[in-house]
Amino acid sequence: MPPPPPPPPLPSSSDTSSVENNARNMPSASSLSSDTSSVENKSSNLFGKDKPKLSVTSLNAWFAGKIALKNINIDIKQNCVTALIGPSGCGKTTLLRCINRMHEMTPRASVEGQIILDDLNIYDKSSDPVIVKRRMGMVFQKPNPFPTMSIYDNVASGLKLNGIKNKTLIKNVVEESLEGAGLWDEVKNDLAKPGISLSGGQQQRLCIARALAMQPEILLMDEPTSALDPTASSKIEELISNLKKNLTVIIVTHNMQQAARVSDYTAFMYLGELIEYGHTAQIFKNPAKELTERYISGKFG
Amino acid sequence: MARLIDLGLNQLTIIILDMASIAEKTVIKSITSYKEDNMEATKEIFKTSAKLRFLQDEVSELTTELIARFQPVATDLRYIKSCMEISYGFSRFGRYAYDIIDTLEIFGPLELCDKSLVISMSEIVLEMMNTGVSALRLLDNSLSNKIYEMENYVDILYKKSLREFAANIKVNPVYSDNRCNISSALILKYLERISDHSCYIADSVNYIVTGLSSPRR
Repeated sequence: MPPPPPPPPLPSSSDTSSVENNARNMPSASSLSSDTSSVENKSSNLFGKDKPKLSVTSLNAWFAGKIALKNINIDIKQNCVTALIGPSGCGKTTLLRCINRMHEMTPRASVEGQIILDDLNIYDKSSDPVIVKRRMGMVFQKPNPFPTMSIYDNVASGLKLNGIKNKTLIKNVVEESLEGAGLWDEVKNDLAKPGISLSGGQQQRLCIARALAMQPEILLMDEPTSALDPTASSKIEELISNLKKNLTVIIVTHNMQQAARVSDYTAFMYLGELIEYGHTAQIFKNPAKELTERYISGKFG
Repeated sequence: MARLIDLGLNQLTIIILDMASIAEKTVIKSITSYKEDNMEATKEIFKTSAKLRFLQDEVSELTTELIARFQPVATDLRYIKSCMEISYGFSRFGRYAYDIIDTLEIFGPLELCDKSLVISMSEIVLEMMNTGVSALRLLDNSLSNKIYEMENYVDILYKKSLREFAANIKVNPVYSDNRCNISSALILKYLERISDHSCYIADSVNYIVTGLSSPRR
């Protein structure tokens, strides 16, 4: 009896057909995720709750003529955490940046295809990128609070930039956002202190609070814990689980265990293609694709 | 390049295959001793049964360590989970082998009893064990169906035999020595349990290979 048998060589990216690449028909699988009950799923279908929050169709993206995303099709479910995993350079961050229209801001970058946010085609000519970005918060790998601003002003900055002057309203939103980010109790007496005086983990939660202040519908997180220690990472992970009650989270992570812990759905990308997408429990217990199995088991290379 | 977890998985495989071999030999020894009315092997069977129990603990420790250190997923995870269950199965084989020889010890020499029913069922069960171990060695889930079919037959045979023993007792209400019927019934029960655990091993092989739980359930 072997330990698990040696896998076949990696297929080239062209081996993954576009049919396989379509992640619309997600497999049903029992899991610890929030939407496991078939009865619940059936009833939510009746009321249209299963309609995706974000639907990506035939998305291609290029950097300087070089293709970075190939025919991506994926439906992101509302109030769920979706993890994007895959080796460096596979297109995870590019997909995230396409979703909030940051990709097109890069010189010589281009994108084609469709991304529907609720009923809005965000790449439609009539669609305003500023409004799209306002509906989506983004948290980056390294905490990036505004260095010259206080904790309070970091969170309030988005509101002020959007012309909100009502001080009571701003104060309430700042408090709610800091609470939402699990930071209020730690900073409520130090709101005037500089944001960068906080620890790394607190700074990252401050950035999350700053994103939450704009009341986004989707929170995009690009390796939000890769620069944090295990305790701070753990707090962010707990926070992610809480946040999904009110918004939809898409997280890029290189940490397989983190993806397994925090997400309801996982998408595995490789060389710009979406290889497999499904319930997180299914992906990590019984992936359908050999390539996924090899990546998550550390059998690459 | 081998992954660090592969060292642990290889070690796990060595222990499991060792258990398979010991368990198979122990059950064969026990049945042979029963057939020959030979109680000399009791101590040896007790020892190997205890060894299987010890190896099961070792598997449990190793699997826990592998999970804690490597957080395995996919095939690795299924393999480790299955090894826990399979090692329990082999440990039970040892226990039932001991129970069989212990029956002989308790009831005394049974050379006058008709042992044909027990012997014929034991032949099927030994084949089931052997097929289960082969399925495990080769990770070949195509052998599962054969084991499931044999288990159905063992179940039928077991119930039929018990009814026959009951009928024997009724026919001879004044017969004072029912040792043959009772000892046979007990041993058939142990064989039936071995048959069940052979199926669980087939289930585990199926789970490792396909990721699906037993098709029987």
